[in-house]
Amino acid sequence: MRPIAIEALGVSKCYATRQALSNVDLIAHRGEVHGLLGPNGAGKTTLLRVLLGLVRRDAGGVRILGRDVEVGGALPDGVAGLIDIPAFYPYMSARQNLALLVRLDGQTQTSRGMVDAALEQTGLAAHADVKVAGHSAGMRQRLGLAAALLRSPQLLLLDEPTSSLDPAGARDVCALVRQLAAGGACVLLSSHDMMEVEELCSALTIIDRGRVVFTGTVDELRSRAPAAPYVLQTSDNMAARALASRSAGVHVSPADDGGLHVSGTLAAFDTYVVALGRAGIAIRELQRRPRSLESLFFDLTSTADLHTRESTGAEERPQKPGWELAS
Amino acid sequence: MRVKGLAAVAGAECAKLSAQIKTRVTLAACVVGPFAFAAAMRVQNSLPEDTLFGRAVKESGFALPLVVLGFAALWVLPALTSIVGGDVFSAEDRYGTWKTLLTRSCARSEVFAGKVAAALGFSLLALGVLAVSSIAAGLLIIGSGPLVGLSGAQLLPSYALMRVTFAWLSVLPPMFAMTAIAIVLSVATRNSAAGIGLPVVAALSMQLYALIDGPEIVRQLLITYAFGAWHGLLAEPPYHRPLVYGTVVSGIYLVLSLVLAYRLLARRDIAA
Repeated sequence: MRPIAIEALGVSKCYATRQALSNVDLIAHRGEVHGLLGPNGAGKTTLLRVLLGLVRRDAGGVRILGRDVEVGGALPDGVAGLIDIPAFYPYMSARQNLALLVRLDGQTQTSRGMVDAALEQTGLAAHADVKVAGHSAGMRQRLGLAAALLRSPQLLLLDEPTSSLDPAGARDVCALVRQLAAGGACVLLSSHDMMEVEELCSALTIIDRGRVVFTGTVDELRSRAPAAPYVLQTSDNMAARALASRSAGVHVSPADDGGLHVSGTLAAFDTYVVALGRAGIAIRELQRRPRSLESLFFDLTSTADLHTRESTGAEERPQKPGWELAS
Repeated sequence: MRVKGLAAVAGAECAKLSAQIKTRVTLAACVVGPFAFAAAMRVQNSLPEDTLFGRAVKESGFALPLVVLGFAALWVLPALTSIVGGDVFSAEDRYGTWKTLLTRSCARSEVFAGKVAAALGFSLLALGVLAVSSIAAGLLIIGSGPLVGLSGAQLLPSYALMRVTFAWLSVLPPMFAMTAIAIVLSVATRNSAAGIGLPVVAALSMQLYALIDGPEIVRQLLITYAFGAWHGLLAEPPYHRPLVYGTVVSGIYLVLSLVLAYRLLARRDIAA
């Protein structure tokens, strides 16, 4: 078992009347990219702020890289974080900003080389002496990554790190995250980009309305989901739909490409396929379509009523995931 | 709290201050202002007779820094202190950089102490520059004639220079107290306009109170009392009681303001 990088147990946080986090557990190990998912207002950024000691928790304990986290304490060496769009001093250049941060990390002796390397690694070397006031959001995001790299992170907390980047920039960030994890670092990645999460993360924690609704690997998430739907093309789709309405245990709906989506238990599906043959309806194509992470996420977090939830507060509505997964 | 962390934050704050135009303009104004005033005094016929030492401003170069000091104590010195003190914390809110600053290897107490050290250091620097510039302007443009003290006794140039220097040094405690007030306003309001403007308004209000016939004990508890305590140094023999009293009062303002500011910062959630 790889050593634990983040151990947050029973973390709760309340802002005035809004319960931002409620008894949240999060365990992440070194050498893994751990995804943190949830709809807007779910509490992801608050959790990252608690982990970095920016926000005091009302209950629970947090240990990162084996050290307790307390608000007001210095961040342990090897821990870096990127929350929201990174902010810097606009009247200073990228290089001056990074040199300032190196100084705050107490590493003045090697600052010049470290700053240059970080600028090079994040593709900002050409803009190193431009004042940050003239930087785009994407450049500030790159600069934020450069600032994180200066701490030689063994634990990196990233909040939407590619939200302002172009596709090439996003690809670079993904490569960097993989490289860090391969080198034994733990990366906690909060993101809305399901493809990015699916591609990068070996483990996931999904939170909704301040509560953990799933934690585990992507494969575990898939294995607990209901059976994936089939896409069916027949010689007579109308007749196939009519037959389905008389068959117990299967549900058929039209697909975008003119075929049919069929879902149900395996036994009911077998019976339905045999019935199609007996009715003289030929099966031209039958394909099992794996469920995307995005559809699993939507089932878990019931984002259809997100707008209502955001306006009423996290604790005011009971949690009703589409299917029970919390472990 | 580690000294190394405090020094790192103070150094970083100094780097930030040196990169800002406002600090350079302020220090430049401290250099140029007294020379412009001395030049104007030299060419004009009238004198600022209603100001302490105003009548002597053309006779002795040592009177000029005292006139500048008397005028500056009204609102210039509070403004000088709050330019940095009133902005040093709220600027992090304006730029959204708290999360950048507090996710490095410095504890929040070290960040606080480093910023306070930088703000007090700037107040000291601004006062020093204004004092040296005023004395130099007086001596170079007006001359080094003997100064007539508040008791009517003539002070020889070397003695006058020492008294003038002490007079400028005597406003350091209230300068620091005003800096601390600006700091607590900067932390509490998270707004630079309030952090910079309110200390000046407070200083002017205290000056106004000094003009009305209120209880003496209240007058002595105001920082403006300490700003005027240097008058005793120009008497013969000099008296120091107001100076001691003003320093103690300034110290109380300083400590209370900094304790309050730290408690506010330490309890704060950095949620934006």
